[in-house]
Amino acid sequence: MIEQAANIQNGACLRSDVCIVGAGPAGIALALDLSSRGISVLLLESGQIDSEVLTQSLYEGEVADERMHSPPDKYRQRRFGGSSAIWGGRCMPMDPIDFESRDYVPHSGWPISYDDLLPYYPAANMLAEAGRFSYDADEAFGAAAAPMIRGFTSEHVRTTGLERFSCPTNFGTRYRKRLQLSPQVTVLLGANCVGLKFDADGQSIRAVEAATLKGIRFTVMSRITVLASGGLETARLLLASSDVMPAGIGNHNDVVGRYYMCHIAGNVGELSVFGSTSQVQHNYEVAPEGIYCRRRLSITAREQRRRGLANSVARLHFPRITDPSHRNGVLSGLFLARKFISYEYGKRLNDGKPPTFETYARHLLNIAGDPLDTSAFLTHWFAKRTLSDRKFPSVILRNRTNRFSLEMHGEQAPLATSRVTLSKQVDMLGMPKLRVDWRYSQSDIESLRGTLDLIAQEVESAGVGRFEYQRETLEEDLTRFGAYGGHHIGTARMGHDERSSVVNADCQVHSVSNLYIAGSAVFPTSSQANPTLTLIALSLRLGDKLARQLDVRKKTTQEEVAV
Amino acid sequence: MKVLVLGATGYIGAHLMKALKQLSWAEPTGASRARANVQTSDVDWLSLDTRDYAALTAGLKGFDAVVNCVAGDRASIAHGAFSLTEAAMAAGCSRIVHLSSMAVYGAAEGLIKEDSPLQQPAGWYGAAKREAERHMRGFAERGGEVVVLRPGCVFGPGSELWVGRTGRWLKAGRLGDLGEAGDGWSNLVHVDDICQAAIAALRLPIAPGELPIFNLAAPDSPRWNDYFVDLALAIGATPVRRIGMPKLRIDSLLCGPPLKLAELCLRYFGKRNTHLPEPIPPGLVQLWSQQIQLDVGQATQKLGIAWTSYAHALQCSAAWFSESGKPDKPAIGKAICTP
Repeated sequence: MIEQAANIQNGACLRSDVCIVGAGPAGIALALDLSSRGISVLLLESGQIDSEVLTQSLYEGEVADERMHSPPDKYRQRRFGGSSAIWGGRCMPMDPIDFESRDYVPHSGWPISYDDLLPYYPAANMLAEAGRFSYDADEAFGAAAAPMIRGFTSEHVRTTGLERFSCPTNFGTRYRKRLQLSPQVTVLLGANCVGLKFDADGQSIRAVEAATLKGIRFTVMSRITVLASGGLETARLLLASSDVMPAGIGNHNDVVGRYYMCHIAGNVGELSVFGSTSQVQHNYEVAPEGIYCRRRLSITAREQRRRGLANSVARLHFPRITDPSHRNGVLSGLFLARKFISYEYGKRLNDGKPPTFETYARHLLNIAGDPLDTSAFLTHWFAKRTLSDRKFPSVILRNRTNRFSLEMHGEQAPLATSRVTLSKQVDMLGMPKLRVDWRYSQSDIESLRGTLDLIAQEVESAGVGRFEYQRETLEEDLTRFGAYGGHHIGTARMGHDERSSVVNADCQVHSVSNLYIAGSAVFPTSSQANPTLTLIALSLRLGDKLARQLDVRKKTTQEEVAV
Repeated sequence: MKVLVLGATGYIGAHLMKALKQLSWAEPTGASRARANVQTSDVDWLSLDTRDYAALTAGLKGFDAVVNCVAGDRASIAHGAFSLTEAAMAAGCSRIVHLSSMAVYGAAEGLIKEDSPLQQPAGWYGAAKREAERHMRGFAERGGEVVVLRPGCVFGPGSELWVGRTGRWLKAGRLGDLGEAGDGWSNLVHVDDICQAAIAALRLPIAPGELPIFNLAAPDSPRWNDYFVDLALAIGATPVRRIGMPKLRIDSLLCGPPLKLAELCLRYFGKRNTHLPEPIPPGLVQLWSQQIQLDVGQATQKLGIAWTSYAHALQCSAAWFSESGKPDKPAIGKAICTP
């Protein structure tokens, strides 16, 4: 059922097998999984079904450098369904190499392997409505399908990797009825977690403290508590629960909030493919089950290891939108319409430099000079995105020249100095606000440089084209818009060693027997992949683990009674 | 055991006749209104209208049991059941196996056991099935033996309703992955499993005053979206389209009535096999989002059904659809607008 926390009596104490904090993709996936096994779940959600200004403002905080990271209330939604209400829907699993400890990526290595997570990916894919778990173009479309670049074969650069797209599915609206009908689930809307209280022994969580904006306070006592409140909020809750542990929960070794990662992303250089435009497949393809898919360039694991490259992908993309020299009416149209586009999706249309009158004029000229393409684009956009139930994922331009920029999306190495901390300010519930200090390292840039150089070398030696980029502006190109928005990773990282991690391989907070974390906060490294699919898979794996644990405990209780 | 199968030319009835013929202990006789439809000559047949009490009483004489697979309009279902119970009582036929439907649960959602309260069904079909069950209960109260079977959506090769028509909608891009609108449980059950259940029900020990009722749905039957996508992939209706509730409603509510009207007009002029698109009944749109899941523990345990796996059922259904090319569109009467 779905209820309002406003109807709970002040001072009440609620009980359940499992209390999950946060009804985003991680929390909803876990709640659905546990409830299907007969485990009772109380799902606390701060927001309502729709976005509310006051609740959203609880996400406000500080950033060390606004050019490097968006304000914390952007790219996050404090509402039922969480940030899936605004996500782009890009799904892809991590690669086996992402889980490995790589000597050229400091602090890399997961305590679990790709194979440990693999069994949960197909179900995660289904929940995200991204079709079959098939991320190889040959497998998804058959070897006879047109390749990304005809004639391009390389031992080191893969072109058959796919990304698949969710509708994009808002987990709140999509799974609301399932949660509503489940006799095992109670969703409480408007319930803000404001603290975690320890048992007297300091080894386990006794209660979750919750509050509504109107001042009702109540507690939830469960056998297990799971924080599923996102990569930033999870750290905030752990750090702010400091009554027994002054440094915060799970933070004996000052790891909570550190190693904060996003992705390094930007458009770089120009890839010219020789021959006709029909040689290149740069657009979305539709899988038989109706899913939009897109091919990417990536470096094989063996070559990553050999060259010491972090993981990354590259997509065939268009030139930088803000610069009118692209002479493309569609891109100029997007630039001029940027004020009508949400912050999250319009961010890459504002590169910090105020446009001059000349810039506007040149963009207008581009539109006037390109009326056919512009109207064809608008018609397609209206039919396949605005009116469509499965949205065409992004702007794709007609390939007229066989020239593309490479849209890079790269892993960043974990850095202890890249971190979130509590600020001195508090929100209206008295919770300290977050301060985000995201940093990247030079090795992230150099790794992408190595990747680009390898792509250039392979494209050229295959004789299919040429890739060139400005070496001296690479860092600027990759950091122009700061951290890639919405990917909040690593603030409560997973590991065997308590000195360098917050949760163990089961996502249980070290030394707190009944506190678990679901979500991208636990990722020790960031991979090339967008985090959503993997965090859902991890939630399903956690569901398995918790079900086993609760079952064992139930059996123990029965035996005790029998004796 | 002499068994009369009413509605023996229907989808379930015909399969049941075949299954009963294989048994050494059963002597089946088929009965239907339209004897002319029967093409096999190796079975005993009676031409019977279940609404005709006198003919039914005469027909039932000498039978140990009757299986009621009658479909049709409200009168055939509800009044037919009344006539059947009266006739069986008069003819001394002591056992009725009655094919009801999950439609008796109305708009109920969640996991539904046989003792769940019946809600007022929204459509005429559910109401007729409920009324029929009431007559069956009356029969049991008067000392007769009744087993009520409540199947979900019965499918398999030859299923016009859940394979033929569904496949054509998928091919036409009018059906696909429906998102929330297709999140309901399909409760699909293979027609062979219905036969298994009916056969077991014929010999089920029944205590005096007891009215055994069994839900029938494959325990691994998926949600509608999964079925639609799986079937679409299996019959090559790809790429599967995503169709949300608003578009589905437009198709059903706006395009449905004119299509239905055109179909009726053409039928009036004697054209049964038209190439008109088939209307999507609003009852189906409602069903696909209804999260009702039949609990089939009772049927598994007491009737001992070895359920046909969903994967196998899907595979043979899709093979039938593909082999039959574009199956002729038989006239779809009211009886099959809702399950």
